Amino acid sequence: MKTAMLAIIQKDFRGVTSNKRLLTALLVVPLALTIIMPSIFVLAIHFTPDDPDFQKLLALLPPAAQTASLELSAVGLIFNYILPSFFLIIPIMTASIMAASAFVGEKEKHTLETLLYCPLSVKQIFRAKVMASFLLSMMVSLISFCAMVLVLELETFLLMGRLLRPDVNWLVILLLVSPAISLIAVTLIVRGSAKAQSVEESQQSAVFLIIPVVLLMAGQFTGAMLLNAWILLGLGALCALLAWILLKKSMTRFTYEMLLSAE
Amino acid sequence: MDTVVLQDLSKTYPGGKQALRQISLSLEQGEVFGFLGPNGAGKTTTVKLLNGMLAPSQGKIRVLGLDPAKQPEKIHALSGVVTEHAQMYDHMTGMQNLIFYASVFGMPKDQAKAQAESLLGRLDLMEARDRKLAAYSTGMRQRLSLARALIHRPQVLFLDEPTSGLDPESAQRVNRMIRELAQNEGITVFLCTHQLRYAQEICTRYGLIEEGRLLAAGTLEQLRKRAFSGLTLQIRAARLPIGLPLRKGHADQYEMGIQSEEEIPALVRRIVEGGGQIYAVSAQYPSLEDIYFALTARGKETNP
Repeated sequence: MKTAMLAIIQKDFRGVTSNKRLLTALLVVPLALTIIMPSIFVLAIHFTPDDPDFQKLLALLPPAAQTASLELSAVGLIFNYILPSFFLIIPIMTASIMAASAFVGEKEKHTLETLLYCPLSVKQIFRAKVMASFLLSMMVSLISFCAMVLVLELETFLLMGRLLRPDVNWLVILLLVSPAISLIAVTLIVRGSAKAQSVEESQQSAVFLIIPVVLLMAGQFTGAMLLNAWILLGLGALCALLAWILLKKSMTRFTYEMLLSAE
Repeated sequence: MDTVVLQDLSKTYPGGKQALRQISLSLEQGEVFGFLGPNGAGKTTTVKLLNGMLAPSQGKIRVLGLDPAKQPEKIHALSGVVTEHAQMYDHMTGMQNLIFYASVFGMPKDQAKAQAESLLGRLDLMEARDRKLAAYSTGMRQRLSLARALIHRPQVLFLDEPTSGLDPESAQRVNRMIRELAQNEGITVFLCTHQLRYAQEICTRYGLIEEGRLLAAGTLEQLRKRAFSGLTLQIRAARLPIGLPLRKGHADQYEMGIQSEEEIPALVRRIVEGGGQIYAVSAQYPSLEDIYFALTARGKETNP
């Protein structure tokens, strides 16, 4: 049944790329979070350098984060400690755009019943839907990361004459935390979309998934918990486990009748 | 072995609505079974039960020996379904849609393409193959749905109002195709409709359903015997001898009920010998429509 699921994934991708409104929504948030916002940070640091409060803040940092130039340590601080938590919003936002319409979108277009008449179980359709949203969110995350690194390195090089050194944090985030969080979000949203009555309802409930990331961001900004690679690794592993359990347990009780009953 | 079997099938929806009451039926291979009844009679519910979209409240179903409540995916692999609510994707072309469904059914791409082209040709959709579905008319969508249901060469077809929304020409084309599929390829067809005239053209057997009850099932001949005794004789004649039990219609039309065609020669002889002039004689068998109305009226009397 690999071909069948692959066909559904392909079809869902085409559904997003052929819809300009969805595509714009998909690009705006990553653009703002990975290019516009970091650029503002870099520029702000460059043009307001000698603030005594800011120097006090930098003195509090672990020695590893401090580098020769004050500006560069400030940019490095933002790049390696603040931006990762912003970055985690991307997989969730991207996932919510495609996943929220996974089932309820098909229901609204009257194509769900046709899909159910195919030789796939509800669980297989669910998996294909989760896979499609997950792949899309990973693709967008990766592209956003590359774009962000490119822009930031270029800016610091032009303004400060040096390149930034990405922390190992980023590796953990890209390879473990972001996929795991994305998978959790996708699974929950796709499951929600099977019960929702409309795409809007499904999207609204998806937004709540950003709350934990917002809390994480607050933690980073106040300095209550500066994430180091080990904490991140543990957090990532925990999320990955949760994602796996959710994927296994979701939809086991779902029948065709339950999916169609909302029509 | 019977292809489709329903035994004492009942379905009550969670809200308490009794959609089907103890339906028993069976379809042989290659049969075109017309499931007839007004809107809301339980036809669509039956199709959903047969495909495992709904679970029966009572009774047993077998499609190609499989239980749809337990192995719906296996039935889906062997059957094609056309219903009003099973639409396709507007942002894809007719061809893309067919190829998508073919690959969901596990068909290799080149085979899918060949089959899609042949079906589009047979259903007169070749010109619209590369047009997005959003630009299709209702009739074209309906025909493409039939192509979609046939893309994986199913053994059983479940058609819920396949000719509704079609112009007469397209309806004829679809009907001809359904008949050919049954005759030449041995596909069993379960056809739900309230368009009795089309049903009479293609069905080999019928089931009449109303308010979830099966009123009667059988061939046209069998149903006719249940609904009416005999047939109607229509005569256009002048100067009829007196004393014949004929009812006068308008102009020189007369009719009477008879038990069998055997009575006709004697009657004609009597008119001719009595000096009457006959211009036309025809024996009218009740149509499916007549039978349907007679049986549903009788159903109302016994189950008010």
